[in-house]
Amino acid sequence: MNRWVVVARQEIRDLWLGGRGPTLVFAFSVLLSAMTYLSATNRGLNFLEQREAVNLTLQVAIAVGVLATMVVAADAISGERERHTLEALLLTPVPRRDIALGKLVSTLTLWAACVVVSMPYLWVLGRSTAVLGQAVVLIALVGTLVAVGLTGVALLVSALSDSNKTSLAVSLFVLLALFAPTQLPGMPKSWVGDLLVRVNPLASGMHYLSALMLNRHTWRQDLSYLLSPALTVLLTTTVFVIAAPRLIRLTRATS
Amino acid sequence: MVAIEAAGLSKRYRDRLAVDDLSFTAEPGEVLGLLGPNGAGKTTTIRLLTTLLRPSAGTFSVAGVPASEPGRLRQRIGVLPESAGYPGQQTGREYLLYHARLFGLPRTEARRVAEDLLDQVGLAERAGSRIATYSRGMRQRLGIARALVNDPAVVFLDEPTLGLDPAGQRQMLALVGEIALRRRATVVLSTHALAEVESACSTVLILDRGRALAAGTIADVTRSVGAHRLSEAFLALTEAGRP
Repeated sequence: MNRWVVVARQEIRDLWLGGRGPTLVFAFSVLLSAMTYLSATNRGLNFLEQREAVNLTLQVAIAVGVLATMVVAADAISGERERHTLEALLLTPVPRRDIALGKLVSTLTLWAACVVVSMPYLWVLGRSTAVLGQAVVLIALVGTLVAVGLTGVALLVSALSDSNKTSLAVSLFVLLALFAPTQLPGMPKSWVGDLLVRVNPLASGMHYLSALMLNRHTWRQDLSYLLSPALTVLLTTTVFVIAAPRLIRLTRATS
Repeated sequence: MVAIEAAGLSKRYRDRLAVDDLSFTAEPGEVLGLLGPNGAGKTTTIRLLTTLLRPSAGTFSVAGVPASEPGRLRQRIGVLPESAGYPGQQTGREYLLYHARLFGLPRTEARRVAEDLLDQVGLAERAGSRIATYSRGMRQRLGIARALVNDPAVVFLDEPTLGLDPAGQRQMLALVGEIALRRRATVVLSTHALAEVESACSTVLILDRGRALAAGTIADVTRSVGAHRLSEAFLALTEAGRP
Protein backbone atom coordinates (compact mmCIF):
# COMPACT_ATOMS: atom_id res chain seq x y z
CA MET A 1 0.00 0.00 0.00
CA ASN A 2 1.20 3.52 -0.76
CA ARG A 3 2.51 5.13 2.40
CA TRP A 4 0.59 8.35 1.81
CA VAL A 5 -2.56 6.24 2.18
CA VAL A 6 -1.33 5.05 5.60
CA VAL A 7 -0.69 8.67 6.64
CA ALA A 8 -4.06 9.81 5.24
CA ARG A 9 -5.98 7.01 7.01
CA GLN A 10 -4.48 7.81 10.39
CA GLU A 11 -4.96 11.56 9.91
CA ILE A 12 -8.60 10.96 8.95
CA ARG A 13 -9.12 8.86 12.09
CA ASP A 14 -7.52 11.58 14.23
CA LEU A 15 -9.60 14.30 12.58
CA TRP A 16 -12.95 12.54 12.83
CA LEU A 17 -12.60 10.38 15.95
CA GLY A 18 -10.58 13.04 17.78
CA GLY A 19 -13.63 15.32 17.60
CA ARG A 20 -12.23 18.24 15.59
CA GLY A 21 -13.95 17.27 12.35
CA PRO A 22 -17.43 16.76 13.83
CA THR A 23 -17.14 20.03 15.81
CA LEU A 24 -16.25 22.05 12.72
CA VAL A 25 -18.98 20.41 10.63
CA PHE A 26 -21.50 21.10 13.41
CA ALA A 27 -20.48 24.78 13.47
CA PHE A 28 -20.70 24.84 9.68
CA SER A 29 -24.23 23.40 9.71
CA VAL A 30 -25.40 25.85 12.41
CA LEU A 31 -24.17 28.77 10.31
CA LEU A 32 -25.69 27.38 7.15
CA SER A 33 -29.01 26.79 8.96
CA ALA A 34 -29.14 30.44 9.97
CA MET A 35 -28.20 31.51 6.46
CA THR A 36 -30.80 29.27 4.85
CA TYR A 37 -33.49 30.46 7.27
CA LEU A 38 -32.72 34.11 6.43
CA SER A 39 -32.64 33.37 2.68
CA ALA A 40 -35.92 31.44 2.84
CA THR A 41 -37.72 34.16 4.81
CA ASN A 42 -36.38 36.86 2.48
CA ARG A 43 -37.55 34.84 -0.48
CA GLY A 44 -40.96 34.40 1.19
CA LEU A 45 -41.19 38.16 1.46
CA ASN A 46 -40.12 38.50 -2.20
CA PHE A 47 -36.88 40.29 -1.23
CA LEU A 48 -34.84 37.58 -2.93
CA GLU A 49 -35.46 35.49 -6.03
CA GLN A 50 -35.02 31.76 -5.75
CA ARG A 51 -31.80 31.86 -7.77
CA GLU A 52 -30.43 34.64 -5.58
CA ALA A 53 -31.25 32.71 -2.42
CA VAL A 54 -29.51 29.56 -3.70
CA ASN A 55 -26.51 31.56 -4.93
CA LEU A 56 -26.13 33.33 -1.58
CA THR A 57 -26.26 30.08 0.38
CA LEU A 58 -23.89 28.42 -2.08
CA GLN A 59 -21.35 31.22 -1.68
CA VAL A 60 -21.57 31.12 2.11
CA ALA A 61 -21.23 27.31 2.05
CA ILE A 62 -18.07 27.56 -0.03
CA ALA A 63 -16.52 30.40 2.00
CA VAL A 64 -17.23 28.79 5.38
CA GLY A 65 -16.37 25.28 4.17
CA VAL A 66 -13.03 26.55 2.89
CA LEU A 67 -12.49 28.39 6.19
CA ALA A 68 -13.04 25.18 8.20
CA THR A 69 -10.75 23.21 5.88
CA MET A 70 -8.03 25.88 6.11
CA VAL A 71 -8.22 25.86 9.91
CA VAL A 72 -7.41 22.12 9.90
CA ALA A 73 -4.71 22.48 7.21
CA ALA A 74 -3.04 25.34 9.09
CA ASP A 75 -2.52 22.99 12.04
CA ALA A 76 -1.35 20.01 10.01
CA ILE A 77 2.42 20.55 10.14
CA SER A 78 3.07 23.45 12.53
CA GLY A 79 0.72 21.82 15.04
CA GLU A 80 2.73 18.61 14.94
CA ARG A 81 5.89 20.65 15.41
CA GLU A 82 4.43 22.31 18.48
CA ARG A 83 3.19 19.03 19.94
CA HIS A 84 6.62 17.43 19.23
CA THR A 85 5.00 14.62 17.23
CA LEU A 86 6.51 15.59 13.87
CA GLU A 87 9.95 14.20 14.71
CA ALA A 88 8.67 10.63 15.01
CA LEU A 89 6.96 10.97 11.64
CA LEU A 90 10.08 12.38 9.99
CA LEU A 91 12.12 9.47 11.36
CA THR A 92 10.12 6.99 9.31
CA PRO A 93 11.17 6.18 5.73
CA VAL A 94 7.98 7.80 4.37
CA PRO A 95 8.94 10.44 1.77
CA ARG A 96 8.04 13.99 2.82
CA ARG A 97 5.79 14.52 -0.18
CA ASP A 98 3.80 11.44 0.86
CA ILE A 99 3.38 13.01 4.31
CA ALA A 100 2.12 16.23 2.66
CA LEU A 101 -0.22 14.33 0.34
CA GLY A 102 -1.64 12.23 3.21
CA LYS A 103 -2.31 15.35 5.25
CA LEU A 104 -3.88 17.17 2.29
CA VAL A 105 -6.21 14.26 1.52
CA SER A 106 -7.30 13.88 5.14
CA THR A 107 -7.96 17.64 5.42
CA LEU A 108 -10.07 17.55 2.29
CA THR A 109 -12.41 14.98 3.87
CA LEU A 110 -13.65 17.91 5.96
CA TRP A 111 -14.45 19.81 2.76
CA ALA A 112 -16.24 16.73 1.42
CA ALA A 113 -18.31 16.61 4.62
CA CYS A 114 -19.17 20.31 4.22
CA VAL A 115 -20.36 19.63 0.64
CA VAL A 116 -22.56 16.76 1.83
CA VAL A 117 -23.96 18.84 4.71
CA SER A 118 -24.77 21.69 2.28
CA MET A 119 -27.00 19.48 0.13
CA PRO A 120 -30.21 19.60 2.23
CA TYR A 121 -29.94 23.38 2.56
CA LEU A 122 -29.55 23.81 -1.18
CA TRP A 123 -32.47 21.42 -1.70
CA VAL A 124 -34.70 23.43 0.64
CA LEU A 125 -34.00 26.64 -1.25
CA GLY A 126 -33.80 25.35 -4.81
CA ARG A 127 -36.14 22.33 -4.92
CA SER A 128 -38.32 21.75 -7.94
CA THR A 129 -36.16 24.01 -10.16
CA ALA A 130 -33.21 23.42 -12.47
CA VAL A 131 -31.11 25.71 -10.26
CA LEU A 132 -30.74 22.94 -7.66
CA GLY A 133 -28.82 20.61 -10.00
CA GLN A 134 -26.65 23.49 -11.12
CA ALA A 135 -25.87 24.45 -7.51
CA VAL A 136 -24.94 20.87 -6.61
CA VAL A 137 -22.57 20.57 -9.57
CA LEU A 138 -21.06 23.98 -8.86
CA ILE A 139 -20.28 23.30 -5.20
CA ALA A 140 -18.84 19.90 -6.11
CA LEU A 141 -16.63 21.19 -8.92
CA VAL A 142 -15.88 24.89 -8.45
CA GLY A 143 -16.08 24.72 -4.65
CA THR A 144 -13.71 21.74 -4.59
CA LEU A 145 -11.26 23.48 -6.93
CA VAL A 146 -11.16 26.54 -4.66
CA ALA A 147 -10.99 24.37 -1.51
CA VAL A 148 -8.08 22.25 -2.79
CA GLY A 149 -6.11 25.34 -3.83
CA LEU A 150 -6.60 27.24 -0.58
CA THR A 151 -6.05 24.14 1.56
CA GLY A 152 -2.73 23.73 -0.26
CA VAL A 153 -1.89 27.35 0.59
CA ALA A 154 -2.74 26.79 4.28
CA LEU A 155 -0.63 23.61 4.31
CA LEU A 156 2.25 25.57 2.81
CA VAL A 157 1.87 28.27 5.46
CA SER A 158 1.81 25.54 8.11
CA ALA A 159 5.03 24.03 6.74
CA LEU A 160 6.70 27.43 6.84
CA SER A 161 5.57 28.32 10.38
CA ASP A 162 7.20 27.26 13.61
CA SER A 163 4.21 28.39 15.63
CA ASN A 164 0.70 27.09 15.23
CA LYS A 165 -0.74 30.50 16.11
CA THR A 166 1.26 32.14 13.31
CA SER A 167 0.14 29.52 10.83
CA LEU A 168 -3.52 29.92 11.78
CA ALA A 169 -3.36 33.73 11.81
CA VAL A 170 -1.64 33.93 8.40
CA SER A 171 -4.03 31.41 6.83
CA LEU A 172 -7.10 33.24 8.14
CA PHE A 173 -5.68 36.56 7.00
CA VAL A 174 -5.11 35.14 3.51
CA LEU A 175 -8.69 33.87 3.39
CA LEU A 176 -10.07 37.17 4.64
CA ALA A 177 -7.99 39.14 2.14
CA LEU A 178 -9.24 36.92 -0.68
CA PHE A 179 -12.85 36.94 0.53
CA ALA A 180 -13.21 40.71 1.13
CA PRO A 181 -13.29 41.67 -2.58
CA THR A 182 -16.19 39.27 -3.18
CA GLN A 183 -18.31 41.50 -0.94
CA LEU A 184 -17.59 44.68 -2.93
CA PRO A 185 -20.39 45.49 -5.37
CA GLY A 186 -19.65 45.63 -9.10
CA MET A 187 -15.97 44.69 -8.84
CA PRO A 188 -15.39 43.40 -12.38
CA LYS A 189 -16.94 46.43 -14.11
CA SER A 190 -13.62 48.22 -14.73
CA TRP A 191 -10.60 46.40 -16.16
CA VAL A 192 -8.72 46.88 -12.87
CA GLY A 193 -11.62 45.37 -10.95
CA ASP A 194 -11.83 42.51 -13.42
CA LEU A 195 -8.09 41.86 -13.08
CA LEU A 196 -8.35 41.85 -9.28
CA VAL A 197 -11.16 39.30 -9.48
CA ARG A 198 -9.30 37.14 -11.98
CA VAL A 199 -6.08 36.90 -9.89
CA ASN A 200 -8.01 36.09 -6.72
CA PRO A 201 -8.82 32.35 -6.65
CA LEU A 202 -11.74 32.78 -4.26
CA ALA A 203 -13.26 35.88 -5.89
CA SER A 204 -12.93 34.47 -9.40
CA GLY A 205 -14.56 31.19 -8.32
CA MET A 206 -17.42 33.12 -6.71
CA HIS A 207 -17.73 35.30 -9.81
CA TYR A 208 -18.07 32.19 -11.96
CA LEU A 209 -20.82 30.87 -9.67
CA SER A 210 -22.75 34.14 -9.79
CA ALA A 211 -22.41 34.38 -13.55
CA LEU A 212 -24.04 30.98 -13.94
CA MET A 213 -26.58 31.23 -11.16
CA LEU A 214 -27.72 34.84 -11.48
CA ASN A 215 -26.83 35.96 -15.02
CA ARG A 216 -27.68 32.56 -16.52
CA HIS A 217 -24.42 32.39 -18.44
CA THR A 218 -23.47 29.09 -20.03
CA TRP A 219 -20.88 26.79 -18.37
CA ARG A 220 -18.24 27.76 -20.92
CA GLN A 221 -18.90 31.50 -21.09
CA ASP A 222 -16.86 32.51 -18.02
CA LEU A 223 -14.58 29.50 -17.84
CA SER A 224 -11.48 31.73 -17.91
CA TYR A 225 -12.39 32.85 -14.38
CA LEU A 226 -11.51 29.36 -13.16
CA LEU A 227 -7.93 29.79 -14.30
CA SER A 228 -6.92 31.40 -11.00
CA PRO A 229 -8.19 28.61 -8.69
CA ALA A 230 -6.81 25.99 -11.10
CA LEU A 231 -3.41 27.70 -11.09
CA THR A 232 -3.45 27.85 -7.27
CA VAL A 233 -3.96 24.09 -7.16
CA LEU A 234 -1.19 23.57 -9.72
CA LEU A 235 1.21 25.94 -7.96
CA THR A 236 0.80 24.52 -4.45
CA THR A 237 1.03 20.95 -5.78
CA THR A 238 4.21 21.78 -7.70
CA VAL A 239 5.75 23.46 -4.65
CA PHE A 240 5.08 20.37 -2.51
CA VAL A 241 6.26 17.92 -5.17
CA ILE A 242 9.52 19.80 -5.69
CA ALA A 243 10.25 21.25 -2.27
CA ALA A 244 8.56 18.92 0.26
CA PRO A 245 11.88 17.68 1.75
CA ARG A 246 12.92 21.29 2.41
CA LEU A 247 9.48 22.38 3.65
CA ILE A 248 8.57 19.55 6.00
CA ARG A 249 11.35 19.72 8.55
CA LEU A 250 11.77 19.48 12.27
CA THR A 251 11.82 23.24 12.65
CA ARG A 252 11.50 25.93 10.01
CA ALA A 253 15.04 27.12 10.76
CA THR A 254 16.91 23.80 10.64
CA SER A 255 18.07 21.89 7.61
CA MET B 1 30.91 -4.13 9.09
CA VAL B 2 30.77 -1.28 11.61
CA ALA B 3 27.33 -0.17 12.77
CA ILE B 4 28.10 3.56 12.76
CA GLU B 5 30.95 5.33 11.04
CA ALA B 6 31.26 9.12 11.18
CA ALA B 7 34.14 11.01 9.60
CA GLY B 8 34.73 14.74 10.06
CA LEU B 9 31.06 15.39 10.83
CA SER B 10 30.24 19.06 11.42
CA LYS B 11 27.08 21.10 11.82
CA ARG B 12 27.11 24.86 11.72
CA TYR B 13 24.18 27.16 12.55
CA ARG B 14 25.21 30.55 11.17
CA ASP B 15 28.15 31.54 13.41
CA ARG B 16 27.77 28.67 15.92
CA LEU B 17 29.42 25.32 15.44
CA ALA B 18 27.14 22.74 17.11
CA VAL B 19 29.19 19.71 16.03
CA ASP B 20 32.84 20.14 15.09
CA ASP B 21 34.80 17.60 13.05
CA LEU B 22 33.38 14.56 14.83
CA SER B 23 34.78 11.15 13.90
CA PHE B 24 33.96 7.86 15.61
CA THR B 25 32.81 4.29 14.99
CA ALA B 26 30.51 1.88 16.81
CA GLU B 27 30.41 -1.89 16.45
CA PRO B 28 27.30 -4.07 16.09
CA GLY B 29 25.78 -5.00 19.47
CA GLU B 30 27.67 -2.21 21.24
CA VAL B 31 25.96 0.14 23.72
CA LEU B 32 27.63 3.50 23.16
CA GLY B 33 27.08 6.18 25.78
CA LEU B 34 26.99 9.68 24.31
CA LEU B 35 28.04 11.91 27.20
CA GLY B 36 28.39 15.62 27.54
CA PRO B 37 27.20 18.70 29.41
CA ASN B 38 24.24 20.79 28.17
CA GLY B 39 24.92 22.19 24.71
CA ALA B 40 27.68 19.66 24.02
CA GLY B 41 26.09 18.64 20.71
CA LYS B 42 24.62 15.26 21.72
CA THR B 43 21.14 15.85 20.29
CA THR B 44 22.55 17.50 17.15
CA THR B 45 24.84 14.48 16.63
CA ILE B 46 21.86 12.13 16.92
CA ARG B 47 19.79 14.29 14.57
CA LEU B 48 22.63 14.25 12.04
CA LEU B 49 23.05 10.48 12.24
CA THR B 50 19.30 9.94 11.93
CA THR B 51 19.10 12.20 8.83
CA LEU B 52 16.86 14.83 10.46
CA LEU B 53 19.61 17.39 9.90
CA ARG B 54 22.01 17.72 7.01
CA PRO B 55 25.68 17.98 8.01
CA SER B 56 27.62 21.11 7.04
CA ALA B 57 30.65 18.90 6.42
CA GLY B 58 31.74 15.29 6.76
CA THR B 59 30.23 11.92 5.95
CA PHE B 60 28.67 9.06 7.87
CA SER B 61 27.01 5.70 7.45
CA VAL B 62 24.65 3.90 9.79
CA ALA B 63 23.97 0.15 9.55
CA GLY B 64 26.04 0.13 6.38
CA VAL B 65 23.81 2.68 4.66
CA PRO B 66 25.46 5.95 3.59
CA ALA B 67 23.97 9.34 4.48
CA SER B 68 23.21 9.91 0.80
CA GLU B 69 20.31 7.40 1.08
CA PRO B 70 18.24 8.85 3.93
CA GLY B 71 15.09 6.83 3.19
CA ARG B 72 16.95 3.52 3.25
CA LEU B 73 18.93 4.61 6.32
CA ARG B 74 15.77 5.48 8.27
CA GLN B 75 14.43 2.02 7.43
CA ARG B 76 17.34 0.50 9.42
CA ILE B 77 17.27 2.69 12.52
CA GLY B 78 15.03 3.27 15.52
CA VAL B 79 14.98 6.54 17.45
CA LEU B 80 13.57 7.76 20.74
CA PRO B 81 13.91 11.54 20.42
CA GLU B 82 14.48 13.83 23.38
CA SER B 83 11.13 15.15 24.71
CA ALA B 84 9.17 13.23 22.10
CA GLY B 85 5.48 14.08 21.82
CA TYR B 86 2.68 11.55 21.52
CA PRO B 87 -0.80 11.90 20.05
CA GLY B 88 -2.92 11.78 23.19
CA GLN B 89 -6.09 10.69 21.39
CA GLN B 90 -4.52 7.49 20.01
CA THR B 91 -4.20 4.29 22.01
CA GLY B 92 -0.79 2.71 22.52
CA ARG B 93 -1.74 -0.14 20.20
CA GLU B 94 -3.00 2.20 17.49
CA TYR B 95 0.16 4.32 17.72
CA LEU B 96 2.50 1.35 17.26
CA LEU B 97 0.35 -0.14 14.51
CA TYR B 98 0.46 3.18 12.64
CA HIS B 99 4.25 3.44 12.89
CA ALA B 100 4.74 -0.19 11.89
CA ARG B 101 2.60 0.51 8.80
CA LEU B 102 4.70 3.60 8.03
CA PHE B 103 7.73 1.30 7.94
CA GLY B 104 5.97 -0.75 5.29
CA LEU B 105 4.75 -3.71 7.35
CA PRO B 106 1.54 -5.37 6.12
CA ARG B 107 -1.45 -4.91 8.45
CA THR B 108 -1.39 -8.39 10.07
CA GLU B 109 2.37 -8.32 10.56
CA ALA B 110 2.16 -4.77 11.95
CA ARG B 111 -0.52 -5.88 14.42
CA ARG B 112 1.62 -8.83 15.58
CA VAL B 113 4.72 -6.62 15.99
CA ALA B 114 2.72 -4.01 17.92
CA GLU B 115 1.31 -6.60 20.32
CA ASP B 116 4.74 -8.21 20.87
CA LEU B 117 6.39 -4.86 21.58
CA LEU B 118 3.64 -3.72 23.92
CA ASP B 119 4.19 -6.94 25.83
CA GLN B 120 7.99 -6.50 25.88
CA VAL B 121 7.82 -2.98 27.29
CA GLY B 122 5.17 -3.93 29.84
CA LEU B 123 2.27 -2.02 28.31
CA ALA B 124 0.13 -4.96 27.18
CA GLU B 125 -2.54 -4.26 29.79
CA ARG B 126 -2.81 -0.60 28.82
CA ALA B 127 -2.56 -1.18 25.05
CA GLY B 128 -6.16 -0.09 24.49
CA SER B 129 -5.95 3.04 26.66
CA ARG B 130 -5.44 6.50 25.21
CA ILE B 131 -1.86 7.74 25.37
CA ALA B 132 -3.15 10.88 27.14
CA THR B 133 -3.79 8.69 30.19
CA TYR B 134 -0.22 7.27 30.26
CA SER B 135 2.38 8.35 32.82
CA ARG B 136 5.71 9.76 31.65
CA GLY B 137 7.42 6.41 32.21
CA MET B 138 4.76 4.61 30.18
CA ARG B 139 5.16 7.12 27.35
CA GLN B 140 8.93 6.62 27.34
CA ARG B 141 8.43 2.84 27.16
CA LEU B 142 5.95 3.34 24.33
CA GLY B 143 8.55 5.51 22.62
CA ILE B 144 11.10 2.70 22.92
CA ALA B 145 8.56 0.25 21.49
CA ARG B 146 7.98 2.63 18.58
CA ALA B 147 11.74 2.80 17.99
CA LEU B 148 11.77 -0.99 17.63
CA VAL B 149 8.81 -1.52 15.25
CA ASN B 150 11.10 -1.95 12.25
CA ASP B 151 13.54 -4.29 14.02
CA PRO B 152 16.36 -1.72 13.66
CA ALA B 153 20.06 -2.47 13.42
CA VAL B 154 20.91 0.73 15.30
CA VAL B 155 18.81 2.36 18.02
CA PHE B 156 19.31 5.97 19.14
CA LEU B 157 17.93 6.90 22.55
CA ASP B 158 18.13 10.58 23.43
CA GLU B 159 17.83 11.12 27.19
CA PRO B 160 15.44 8.17 27.68
CA THR B 161 15.46 8.44 31.48
CA LEU B 162 14.82 12.18 31.66
CA GLY B 163 12.04 12.94 34.15
CA LEU B 164 11.64 9.32 35.28
CA ASP B 165 11.63 8.21 38.91
CA PRO B 166 14.42 5.81 40.06
CA ALA B 167 12.28 2.72 39.38
CA GLY B 168 11.42 4.02 35.92
CA GLN B 169 15.08 4.74 35.22
CA ARG B 170 16.06 1.21 36.26
CA GLN B 171 13.34 -0.27 34.05
CA MET B 172 14.48 1.86 31.11
CA LEU B 173 18.12 0.81 31.48
CA ALA B 174 17.08 -2.84 31.69
CA LEU B 175 15.22 -2.33 28.39
CA VAL B 176 18.32 -0.81 26.82
CA GLY B 177 20.37 -3.85 27.86
CA GLU B 178 17.74 -6.19 26.44
CA ILE B 179 17.71 -4.39 23.10
CA ALA B 180 21.47 -4.84 22.71
CA LEU B 181 21.52 -8.40 24.02
CA ARG B 182 18.40 -9.99 22.52
CA ARG B 183 18.14 -8.01 19.31
CA ARG B 184 21.91 -7.61 18.81
CA ALA B 185 21.26 -3.99 17.88
CA THR B 186 23.78 -1.21 18.40
CA VAL B 187 22.44 1.30 20.93
CA VAL B 188 23.49 4.94 21.14
CA LEU B 189 22.42 6.23 24.53
CA SER B 190 22.62 9.97 25.03
CA THR B 191 22.45 11.00 28.67
CA HIS B 192 23.66 13.34 31.39
CA ALA B 193 23.68 10.61 34.00
CA LEU B 194 27.12 9.07 34.38
CA ALA B 195 25.83 6.25 36.57
CA GLU B 196 23.55 5.18 33.73
CA VAL B 197 26.47 5.04 31.34
CA GLU B 198 28.55 3.02 33.78
CA SER B 199 25.77 0.49 34.26
CA ALA B 200 24.45 0.20 30.70
CA CYS B 201 27.20 1.12 28.23
CA SER B 202 30.17 -0.78 26.92
CA THR B 203 31.82 2.26 25.34
CA VAL B 204 31.55 6.05 25.68
CA LEU B 205 31.97 9.10 23.51
CA ILE B 206 32.42 12.29 25.52
CA LEU B 207 31.45 15.51 23.75
CA ASP B 208 31.91 19.11 24.76
CA ARG B 209 31.07 22.18 22.67
CA GLY B 210 30.62 19.97 19.62
CA ARG B 211 34.00 18.28 19.81
CA ALA B 212 34.85 14.70 20.81
CA LEU B 213 37.04 14.79 23.93
CA ALA B 214 37.42 11.06 24.45
CA ALA B 215 36.15 7.79 23.02
CA GLY B 216 36.59 4.14 23.92
CA THR B 217 35.69 1.70 26.64
CA ILE B 218 34.88 3.16 30.05
CA ALA B 219 38.10 1.69 31.47
CA ASP B 220 40.21 3.17 28.66
CA VAL B 221 38.66 6.64 28.95
CA THR B 222 39.02 6.65 32.75
CA ARG B 223 42.62 5.49 32.57
CA SER B 224 43.56 7.99 29.84
CA VAL B 225 43.13 10.94 32.23
CA GLY B 226 44.48 9.16 35.29
CA ALA B 227 41.07 8.98 37.00
CA HIS B 228 39.51 6.14 38.99
CA ARG B 229 35.88 6.64 38.00
CA LEU B 230 34.06 7.81 34.88
CA SER B 231 32.62 10.81 36.72
CA GLU B 232 36.12 12.01 37.61
CA ALA B 233 37.30 11.51 34.05
CA PHE B 234 34.23 13.33 32.70
CA LEU B 235 34.80 16.35 34.94
CA ALA B 236 38.53 16.40 34.21
CA LEU B 237 37.87 16.36 30.47
CA THR B 238 34.97 18.80 30.29
CA GLU B 239 36.28 21.34 32.79
CA ALA B 240 39.84 21.37 31.45
CA GLY B 241 39.22 24.01 28.78
CA ARG B 242 36.84 26.21 30.80
CA PRO B 243 37.81 29.54 32.37
